[in-house]
Amino acid sequence: MRYIRLILFVLVVLVVMAIPLALVLARTYFLSPTAQPVKAQPIQFPHSVHVQALGLDCTYCHRNATTSAQATLPPLELCMQCHKIVPTQGRPELEKLVAAFQQDQPILWNKVHQLPDHTHFVHSVHLSFGFQCSTCHGDVGAMGKPGVKQVRDLRMGDCITCHQQNGARTDCSVCHY
Amino acid sequence: MPRWGMVIDLDRCIGCGACVVACQAENNVPINTEDVYHQRRAIAWIRLERYWEGEFPNVKARYIPVPCMQCTNAPCEPVCPVYATYHTTEGINMQVYNRCIGTRYCSINCHWHVRFFNFWEPKWPDSLKNQLNPDVTVRSRGVMEKCNFCVHRIVKAEQKAKVEGRALRTDEVTTACAQACPTNAIVFGDLDDPNSAVSQLLAQAEKEHRVYRLLEDLGTDPKVYYLKKIDIEATTAPAGAH
Repeated sequence: MRYIRLILFVLVVLVVMAIPLALVLARTYFLSPTAQPVKAQPIQFPHSVHVQALGLDCTYCHRNATTSAQATLPPLELCMQCHKIVPTQGRPELEKLVAAFQQDQPILWNKVHQLPDHTHFVHSVHLSFGFQCSTCHGDVGAMGKPGVKQVRDLRMGDCITCHQQNGARTDCSVCHY
Repeated sequence: MPRWGMVIDLDRCIGCGACVVACQAENNVPINTEDVYHQRRAIAWIRLERYWEGEFPNVKARYIPVPCMQCTNAPCEPVCPVYATYHTTEGINMQVYNRCIGTRYCSINCHWHVRFFNFWEPKWPDSLKNQLNPDVTVRSRGVMEKCNFCVHRIVKAEQKAKVEGRALRTDEVTTACAQACPTNAIVFGDLDDPNSAVSQLLAQAEKEHRVYRLLEDLGTDPKVYYLKKIDIEATTAPAGAH
């Protein structure tokens, strides 16, 4: 019982010190891109139908992934190549697509995969070195109605780790310029 | 691994300022107003210095374009407390905007005054919003910025070469200022490649004793080389003099 005050004091100090640490960890966890809820999109596009059921390749729609920095979203004309045949009756999501196409309005998709600011990511280089889309994007083909979710952290620590494992350059100017 | 360098032939430079405009457009450099100039806070990654030579009837204008010298032993680098400025393996003195906390030590330690601080949030008129280069970060208030030899072009060319599975070709990359120069006074390339335009220009000019660098005596080993103007009237100038 002689040291009870000292032990209590140490315990209190430890708890007080743990609060900011817990806050920082909680912030990191809750603000991490993978912890964000699925973003609402103007049209609930089901990747599962196009990839799993129809067997389309990622690059059929994201055409510039192998050649340029951006994977790019397809123009509505590409959607309509198939969807002028697919019946739209009783399918509200498809009616939205056809309406947008007829009114010549682009669809303003919400960006799903958030990279940190001031970074330049180039799809073509990563694909030319043999990485699969699913390495970073997860199994998008299995993501159905609620929409696509970011499954990988894609922050600097994540990028650097992968670069080091694969012997890629970790110079700042590789991504930041 | 290339070692990027630049040769500026002052005998060809006519002082048109195309390099300055090209750089401004390429690198999303904010627009400098008269007010900004009066406060000496104008941002110009490459500037054109004009000097008058001689007395009134025989007065001559001399021009020197001054980009960042990309010193090998850059004085700006060791003073940065957060390592926001560093040397790439290709010899470019880079500024990492995310890291910069705006101490401005680097600009004070730069003898060429080619580092610029963003005192304000950059603004463009609505008509120029779509003109911004998507390959270059728009620097916000409170960070330093400087010429980086159009590193986005270099990175892009290297990535293109990687995708095509080949090495970078000689003189495949050029900077915006070199591209815009109407008289080819500015030449950019790999100093280590004997076939590159810069190496051949330098080899030729060495024989004519025309090569010099700005503030060479400081020993920072700049990678921007100047070729002296050939003055037809000055016949008595000793060879090798700057």
